[in-house]
Amino acid sequence: MRVAVISGGLREPSSTRLLADRLAAAVRAELGQVEVEVIELRRLARAIADAMVTGFASPELEEAFGAVAGSDGVIAVTPTFNATFSGLFKSFFDVLPEQTVEGVPVLIAATGGTERHSLVLDHALRPMFSYLHAVVSPTGVYAATADFGAQGLSERITKAASNFARLLKLCGPRRGDTVNAELDEMQRLLAGA
Amino acid sequence: MTSTGMQFGIFTVGDVTADPTTGRTPTEGERIRATVTIAKKAEEVGLDVFATGEHHNPPFVPSSPTTLLGYIAAQTERIVLTTSTTLITTNDPVKIAEDYSVLQHLAGGRVDLMLGRGNTGPVYPWFGKDIRAALPLTVENYQLLRRLWREDVVDWSGEYRTPLRGFTLAPRPLDGVPPFVWHGSIRSPEIAELAAHYGDGFFANHIFWPASHTKAMVQLYRQRFEHYGHGGADQAIVGLGGQVFLRPNSQDAVNEFRPYFDNAPVYGHGPSLEEFSAQTPLTVGSPQQVIDKTLSFREYVGDYQRQLFLIDHAGLPLKTVLEQLDLLGEHVIPVLRKEFAIGRPAHVPDAPTHQSLIDAARRPEIQEAS
Repeated sequence: MRVAVISGGLREPSSTRLLADRLAAAVRAELGQVEVEVIELRRLARAIADAMVTGFASPELEEAFGAVAGSDGVIAVTPTFNATFSGLFKSFFDVLPEQTVEGVPVLIAATGGTERHSLVLDHALRPMFSYLHAVVSPTGVYAATADFGAQGLSERITKAASNFARLLKLCGPRRGDTVNAELDEMQRLLAGA
Repeated sequence: MTSTGMQFGIFTVGDVTADPTTGRTPTEGERIRATVTIAKKAEEVGLDVFATGEHHNPPFVPSSPTTLLGYIAAQTERIVLTTSTTLITTNDPVKIAEDYSVLQHLAGGRVDLMLGRGNTGPVYPWFGKDIRAALPLTVENYQLLRRLWREDVVDWSGEYRTPLRGFTLAPRPLDGVPPFVWHGSIRSPEIAELAAHYGDGFFANHIFWPASHTKAMVQLYRQRFEHYGHGGADQAIVGLGGQVFLRPNSQDAVNEFRPYFDNAPVYGHGPSLEEFSAQTPLTVGSPQQVIDKTLSFREYVGDYQRQLFLIDHAGLPLKTVLEQLDLLGEHVIPVLRKEFAIGRPAHVPDAPTHQSLIDAARRPEIQEAS
């Protein structure tokens, strides 16, 4: 199994990255053999903006796309800015080629300055990943700053990782080839003449 | 017209863009007249092809390509006139067939065309079409266009157009040979499939995307061309875009072009000139650098038939564009002709021309794919 971890944290060290790492570790504990690749969006910030302007990805961004496309599951973690995911986090998915996460299990998570933002998971991340036809794991993790020192976060991480691991096993390795699907449609159109 | 291996030319988008170094925007009339001057100059300096885009919204002026090309045809003698691209989705295929038949007659066969879908959503409804149906629309319209050019009397009905009963195209194509068709694509593998299916030419825009992408698209087209029985993969008809800005001194070229690059409508305010040059075919530098980069295209697409350069966009003044043509004609194209000919296998076809299509039609063993 291969899991891509997408972290939208902007600072170093970043609490978003910290949460992402803890989720990845918990998933590994559940599954045993799992290959984890972490994609730090901060390092891709300019490349993401360039891709919006030019319509194509630079080699480093292409590599990140490849990591997502080659994964069997995704852990996506964003900071909460202005009551929603960060602009950079959203921008990454805006330039990610269509269908990259279609049918792919996704564990959603977010950090924020206050507990009062916890619905960002269900009001922002879940609808976006539904739109992208990902299979969103039922349990996400929201961690406010205060949660990192408090009881309960570890248990929530373990529970979310356990649900996600089950989903990963159910969905199995990714298959499907979008280029061939596009060609199939064209061949059908041409043959139907 | 005799075929001469590879063809070299220019393609214009036809944008009216302010010159970022002076802030001056040409009028539409100035831009149209400049386009004619550029086309005539292209012939004068020894280029083989002039292509115009087709757009139906500001800030672009070429909404009526055959009017423009007909006017240029009257003032030129040798250069092949074509498009980049003709919208097969929003134009009525009957009108395309008529327009290009007339143009063929007027230009004495110096005409082909490149079909494309068009990617500007709002244009479709202005012509009564829906961009969501772009692909089936492309296939249906193109299949009709082929019949109009090849059959004396057409009975046809389809999904997207009024049926035709007993329709005869007037005038018939020159010498009974329809213009050669290229299919232009920036990113769609479907278009490579379409071109391969009919044994038509495939033109990869090339300039907006990394080489790896173009390589994959051309490879796909070549494989499918062979699959459909039109010849070997290396006999498929491939064209490429390119984008250059040259000065005798490399650093002069970079300094002069940078403000145009930084403010260009398509990619400006994004990656740096250096990054974009590393990632795409853009070459800003000396004639030798342009030669080296262009020759490298062959390494990933194989021996090909047509190379078009974009040289007149982003607000570059006419005077500068004409200087670009002088440099291309004097220092670049003659070298490219010579170098590309070296090692080119004999079975790789030359760029198709009206004359080569007439010759092919006379050879009975060449079967027309339908």
